[in-house]
Amino acid sequence: METIIKERIKEVKKGNAQAFEDIVSFYQNKVYFICFRMIGNKQEAEDLAQEAFIRAYTNLDSFDERRKFSTWLYRIATNLTIDRIRKKKPDYYLDAEIRGTDGLDMYDQLAMDEALPEEQVENLELRGYIQTEITALPPKYRSVIVLRFLEELSLQEISEVLDMPVGTVKTRIHRGREILRTKLRHV
Amino acid sequence: MRCEKDIIYLMHKYLDEALTDEEQRILSNHLQRCEDCQRHFHELKRTDTLASDKSKITTSRSFTDSVMSNIPQNKNRASWLG
Repeated sequence: METIIKERIKEVKKGNAQAFEDIVSFYQNKVYFICFRMIGNKQEAEDLAQEAFIRAYTNLDSFDERRKFSTWLYRIATNLTIDRIRKKKPDYYLDAEIRGTDGLDMYDQLAMDEALPEEQVENLELRGYIQTEITALPPKYRSVIVLRFLEELSLQEISEVLDMPVGTVKTRIHRGREILRTKLRHV
Repeated sequence: MRCEKDIIYLMHKYLDEALTDEEQRILSNHLQRCEDCQRHFHELKRTDTLASDKSKITTSRSFTDSVMSNIPQNKNRASWLG
């Protein structure tokens, strides 16, 4: 897949904008996952993810093709989301109920046309709760925790995405994990 | 207390998949005789499991179209960049 993406990037750089479509299709859910998990709201996450792709497109010339494209793209998405979080009014974040509900809405979408067995409903509630607790983490822990659980990201890659030393990444994962542990131990 | 802090650090290192054999041995020896740490370790592992929910978080269907209609479609990307 990396090879195909590399080809597409070359084509876009040559002026074929349409080649960017494959790049968007391939990475959209991952970028959306990062934004959603950090911001906790599906509409905002979708806006941020779209903005991340548009920025990637307009700045593609500055992407060094010897490096990993996903790392570069995730960095754009993470920075945009962190900026958005910083600009937000603090009272938005105090409204935990809304954040939880948003998470549920999103998962509800998946199961629209089937009646949910009770077990699954509980599952949805649990997911909403977990998302709420992740969104409640201070942003500096939130970003590492979100990236840590995006399957294929190593500590080294997280350090590249966030432009911080691996040691700092580890410390923040440990602290973030401890905070989450105390929040999730009773669920 | 110092000992407990070191053990908790090893638990995190375990979850980062970065334990050396020696550390692995220290951790499991300690866990065998310390219930508090067993509970702590269990909670940490569970936290990772709960947080790594990768269930189909998907964008809306119009996502790609939306992005593609918001980028300049032809030529001179460089000049648009400014």
